Amino acid sequence: MSKSSFFDPQTIALHTGYQPESEHGSRAVPIYQTTSYAFQDVSHGAALFNVERGGHIYSRMTNPTVAVLEQRVAALEGGVACVCTASGMSALFTTFVSLCSAGDHIVSASQIYGSTATLLGHTLKRFGIETTFVDVNDHAAINDAIQENTKLIFCESIGNPALDIADIPALAAIGKDRHVPIVVDATFATPALHNPIAHGANIVVHSLTKWIGGSGNSIGGAIVDGGNFKWGASNKDNREFPTVCEPYAPFHGISFYEEFGPSAFSMRIRAESMRDFGATLSPQNAFNLLQGLESLALRMPKHVENAEALVQWLLNHEAVGWVNHPSMDNHPNKEIAKTLFPNGAGSILSFGVKGGREAGAAFMDSLQLATNLANVGDSRTLVLHPGSTTHSRMDAQAMKNAGISEDLIRVSVGIESLRDIKNDFSQGLRAAQKVAEKSAVDSALTKKGGV
Amino acid sequence: MYLSVNGDKTYIATGGKVFDKSLPTVVFLHGSGLDHRSWALQTRWFAFHGYSVIAPDFPGHSLSEGEALNSIEAMADWLWQLLDEMGVEKCSLVGHSQGGLVVLEAAANKPDRVRSVSLVGCAAVIGVNDYLLTTSQTDRPSAVDAMLMWGFGEAYQFGRSNIPGQAPIGIGYQIMCDNPLFQDLSACQSYITGDQAAAKITAPAQLILAKKDKMTPLKFGLALAESLPNTVSTAVLEVGHMIPMEAPEKCLTELQKFITGLE
Repeated sequence: MSKSSFFDPQTIALHTGYQPESEHGSRAVPIYQTTSYAFQDVSHGAALFNVERGGHIYSRMTNPTVAVLEQRVAALEGGVACVCTASGMSALFTTFVSLCSAGDHIVSASQIYGSTATLLGHTLKRFGIETTFVDVNDHAAINDAIQENTKLIFCESIGNPALDIADIPALAAIGKDRHVPIVVDATFATPALHNPIAHGANIVVHSLTKWIGGSGNSIGGAIVDGGNFKWGASNKDNREFPTVCEPYAPFHGISFYEEFGPSAFSMRIRAESMRDFGATLSPQNAFNLLQGLESLALRMPKHVENAEALVQWLLNHEAVGWVNHPSMDNHPNKEIAKTLFPNGAGSILSFGVKGGREAGAAFMDSLQLATNLANVGDSRTLVLHPGSTTHSRMDAQAMKNAGISEDLIRVSVGIESLRDIKNDFSQGLRAAQKVAEKSAVDSALTKKGGV
Repeated sequence: MYLSVNGDKTYIATGGKVFDKSLPTVVFLHGSGLDHRSWALQTRWFAFHGYSVIAPDFPGHSLSEGEALNSIEAMADWLWQLLDEMGVEKCSLVGHSQGGLVVLEAAANKPDRVRSVSLVGCAAVIGVNDYLLTTSQTDRPSAVDAMLMWGFGEAYQFGRSNIPGQAPIGIGYQIMCDNPLFQDLSACQSYITGDQAAAKITAPAQLILAKKDKMTPLKFGLALAESLPNTVSTAVLEVGHMIPMEAPEKCLTELQKFITGLE
């Protein structure tokens, strides 16, 4: 049970935010494929614009189909509100710029998705927002990195792709002490495996595109406002959050914190970011993502079961050099994972084949069932070489800090039959072995001075 | 805006406009464990339509400092102190649940300073069961859960929100867990003179009640309507106890009809 609903998660995913009560009694959530909503009269329109009445105005800001998805995700995460966006990246961008202005600062984990690292380290820098990257579990370094102008601490609950587990309660303690909100990208975990807000995080971001959607057919993002950060509270660091607490001139000088309290941050996003940036989730995509959300609680255990079994199988395979998953005994965060992820720490694993990058390429090119592409969380098994794709824009040091080796293969384990996944990987690993053996022979000949 | 009342920093929501005592004033009072945000939408409408709005956080609640008051009578006295401080001579009083009890008491004490009373989800007596009272002292989050479960009607239990994307139960949880619920509920439990207070109120009154109210059952609200000398209207909405949040539109419509129709 979350703090936002008295239903269990499985029920929330199916029922929250919508009851069949419209004119036609539609049992499924209808797709409101409309740009705008008729006002009853002039005063009704004015009241909607001035937040004197609740309701929909224009689908760039809100839409009834999208709202159902938002209310379900908010309830699943135990938040006070959710704003859905066009993608996970737009959810992150919206979150960062809704708290930070030029001259502000972010402390971020080093072990994060490549595009997020680029957004923080390069794109936001152009707008005067600086980021300090720190090891996610070096808490002293995180505390030391907080500056007078720091507006948030960012991490991924399961880092992409190195799979470091963030110790959210420890980060939350730092955030509470220094009055800095903890923003967690929980995409790899989904609300089915872990609820960061219950462990003290303040804002949760999801790429809905991944496991929540589950079918790889729609892009979307979500920002969940935990409602548990006292934006305007006095604090020993005298840290302030003007975007949430100070009068907002374009809205009659509204103070979101005073007027909306726990949901102030999400109201600021709705009033400014959705209006001005327009990174809107389409109602059709919201509908598609809702179909995935409705079965999330059933799919995630199967994802985890397959991933953990594949980890053990890979560990015993002679062609495999190393394997990484938080369920492994030698994983550096195994204990944190056991505590924070009692139902499994996700279905991403990474590994390297013997023979290095070329052997790894042979493995990937030989796969028939698993697909080589830049996505995770599909119900189908996916593989990727991050070093040459998603994380290729990071420099060598940043790659090292993110825990990405040259031979790392990322696997998003699907919910196919485990036997079929293993068979596919078997023939891929045979191809890798051939390359590795040839490479070893070539290397030996080179050392002997032969051809 | 912030004001000092009895030396304590007190927050007063003014509906997004600067308070102007020359305009007719409408005072909104929140229920147990809640704060001014119960009235977020309604206060904005009145503030932007020719009224001055006062929606305070009672002492010790949310943005107001100080010790929580321990009786409805003390809350009514505090309210008049606040209104004196703000230079309000006469006003319309609107109260939800516990706030309604404060309206009854305040209006009975100074009937000539009250233009109208609006009682929302209210009765002359609001009994609090022993379990809830005890739990609010020993385990506030569990007491809050119980109140949110009993307080919100079916649609809100199913995650409806009048403001798209919000989770009102989650918002209620965050607000109520930080506020002095035990003191509020004790004050409600101890207040047994609501009928006598109602009899002294000369101003026109309206009641906005809920058919599915599990905390102040409808029959008690209807009885209060009978005991007020000048009840003008009684509306019964198809929601639970949290009327200002659960049915903000209908609640606003009823308040508009009544308050804008006053002489």
